[in-house]
Amino acid sequence: MRKFSKVLALTLVLTMVMSSVLTGCKKENGTEETQTKTQTQGATPQADQEAEIEKPKKITIMVDGTLFTKANGRDAFEAKWEELSGIDLEIIQPDHDAYYDVVGQTLASGDWPDAILLSSTFYSGYAEEGVLWDMTDFWENSELKASGRINNEAITDSLYIDGKLYGLSPARGNGCITYVKKAWLENVGLDVPTTYDEYIAMLDAFTKGDPDNNGIDGDTYGVSSAGLIGVEAPYTNYLPEFYQDAFPSFYKNADGQWVDGFSEEAMAGALGRLRDAYEKGYIDKESLTNGTSDCRNKFYEDKFGVFTYWAGTWATNMRTNLEANGFDGELIPIEPIKEVGAYLERQAPVWCVTAKAENPEGVAKYFIESMLDGGEMQQLFTYGVEGTHWSTKEEEVCGKIYEEGQFHMLENLETKGTQYTKNHIDPLLSIGNFTAFEDPGAEQVTADTRISQETFNNHSKVVQLVPSTDVMSQYNGDLTTLKREIIANVVTQGISFEDEMKRYEEEGGAEWSKAIVDSLNAK
Amino acid sequence: MSRNKKEKTVVSTKPLRTRIYIHRWFYLMILPVLVFAIIFFYLPMFGIRYAFFEYKGILEPVFVGFENFKKMFSMAGFWSAFRNTMELSIIKLIVNTGAAVIISLLLNEITGLKFKKAAQTIIYLPHFMSWVVTASVFALILSPTQEGLVNSFLTSLGFVEKGAEIYFLGSNRWWRPAYYIINIWKETGWGTIIFMATLAGINPEQYEAASIDGAGRWNKMRFITLPALANTIITVLILNLAKIMNLFESVFVLQNDAVVRQSDVLQTYIYTQTFNSGALPNYGYTTAVGLVKSLVACALVLICNYASKKVRGRGIV
Repeated sequence: MRKFSKVLALTLVLTMVMSSVLTGCKKENGTEETQTKTQTQGATPQADQEAEIEKPKKITIMVDGTLFTKANGRDAFEAKWEELSGIDLEIIQPDHDAYYDVVGQTLASGDWPDAILLSSTFYSGYAEEGVLWDMTDFWENSELKASGRINNEAITDSLYIDGKLYGLSPARGNGCITYVKKAWLENVGLDVPTTYDEYIAMLDAFTKGDPDNNGIDGDTYGVSSAGLIGVEAPYTNYLPEFYQDAFPSFYKNADGQWVDGFSEEAMAGALGRLRDAYEKGYIDKESLTNGTSDCRNKFYEDKFGVFTYWAGTWATNMRTNLEANGFDGELIPIEPIKEVGAYLERQAPVWCVTAKAENPEGVAKYFIESMLDGGEMQQLFTYGVEGTHWSTKEEEVCGKIYEEGQFHMLENLETKGTQYTKNHIDPLLSIGNFTAFEDPGAEQVTADTRISQETFNNHSKVVQLVPSTDVMSQYNGDLTTLKREIIANVVTQGISFEDEMKRYEEEGGAEWSKAIVDSLNAK
Repeated sequence: MSRNKKEKTVVSTKPLRTRIYIHRWFYLMILPVLVFAIIFFYLPMFGIRYAFFEYKGILEPVFVGFENFKKMFSMAGFWSAFRNTMELSIIKLIVNTGAAVIISLLLNEITGLKFKKAAQTIIYLPHFMSWVVTASVFALILSPTQEGLVNSFLTSLGFVEKGAEIYFLGSNRWWRPAYYIINIWKETGWGTIIFMATLAGINPEQYEAASIDGAGRWNKMRFITLPALANTIITVLILNLAKIMNLFESVFVLQNDAVVRQSDVLQTYIYTQTFNSGALPNYGYTTAVGLVKSLVACALVLICNYASKKVRGRGIV
């Protein structure tokens, strides 16, 4: 028995130890696999012999799922990038949904990548914390800025924090545009709305009338949204016609002073309009608990007629889904109504060089700037790799037949039956033009997508970037929760705006808001 | 028995080193578990120190003493979350335990074995559904339209007018009742297992004797079944009371802006402060909230242990 105990104990311990060792080995091997790359020799087309900036031997980047993932041919992307640049590239790409958790852990560990992709909140926060390299001088003297390839300088201008630039966005941030079902509009005999009154008249007709022509009045409604307010800037983008000039967070006014739009008169008006429309049934009753997929499904099921959603590719997706359900899929992406003036464009994710990068100029030039080289590298970031993500061969892809020489995206490696649409840079949102050759994918963009995107691009303004402060870190969580609760209570619970604002004062909302505004103005 | 006692006494008189040597293989077997516990349970506890620092995860933490606690105790949001955690958990515990007892008693009355097994299996199933799926299912059932099963039923009975359907999950009046019902649906079946086991252990002779004495079903349940279950009910209540601070997933998936005041619990409060603050979070503050939550949970465990000793004659820890 004792002998058996010895053998059992030794076996168990050995099993534990070996499994730990083997797991460790596996991880180590895995790390080595990503870390050890054969450095490609030979010059790249983009090699600038005259540049004073030293070319890095290796660049490590951290990016979310907006770049082709491992399952979607990232290795081919990496190999092509290394071939074009002559630099060893290491890509750290955590799971898209857990990206910012991993970013936080990586930065806390002190083992920082050379370049990192950040959303606007983290961009301003990490800039404040000193994590990001100040690239103001680099940008002022950069080849890209002087090249004339940039078609929208406002995007870069919007990224300055206290006069300093810490990153670059290769593309616009995009935003939501209001789509109206054309058939519904014709069925109720109305034109595209251009004012709030016309917009409300349209919602009224969609709610009380028979816009879907099924012979039943009042079995549809006007508009739906995922929540009454967004969780991040620009906040009001799902219901812009109701919010109009009201903004529930911090912004710099015409006098150059930071203010909190939540306590302004415009917000009272916005909540009044929302409440009125909600009570009349124009707005989906379930808006508080809707997710975006709930809204899309209801839209595809022809339950409502007006949907403010992402411009661009989604215009085509929505038409396809409506038609798949047997409904008329023609949508009109309308220009903003008079009271809205311009749709709000979110801040695009920003590519930044970290402050610990050994050769920050080299990383900025050879990684970030080269994304918009107007040639092969831009094509790589926009469409991926020939033969893996796109092709010009004569073939059939997902039921579509392409001729020899016709540019087309290939079948998604991960989701069979669908085609790729883009890589990291959306061609319709890119702030850099192709100059070495014509945009190869220009012709594959559908009319729906193009019209929607162009309408949005021509009628939008970028939401302001709010710098991060210590006071904001202290109070903004509680303040945001309180604001969102007040909006929901006024619109859906029948509580008056005045009563809720009184509570806002009593529970410290006004005090926290003032403290944050003061901290912003003191910067 | 006496030999065992003797052996035990002999062993216990030996020095610790000798005892360890004698049982060295068992100590070796426990070693991996001990290492695992130290690495994954005890070392992370050093993170508690951040409760006394301002720390955003990158720069060196700045010592701020009790500032995070002062801020926490001055925040209405914290107190609301604390109160909700206690209220939601305790009511949920009582309601779920009560429902589990009732269903166990009903199941116990079923004589057909096949039907009893089928009924048990069906009521256990919701326990295996994730909370995300459960929330989606109930969003449909409780939809404030005629497509919602409950509102459609209420309309057909004349309790609710068409067009004035109740928004159960979006109303600060109805959210809590809906939350308790969803919890009963999901967890009661699983909760019956322990009561069914107790009921199976009741000597059938007691029922036979009661029948001879002329007792009906009601009296048998009142005077035999319920007293037999009493100890188990108290044990279940005590054991679960120690876990009431860990409320998160069920609230998180059913929460929305209109019901924050009724639903926000400490774990969702910490989540919001960390991920939805619109700025880099101060991990020092969220650690402080987490620490207070842990201390309260620890106190509850000790109280439960004391209560358990009083009721059952032995503790739970």
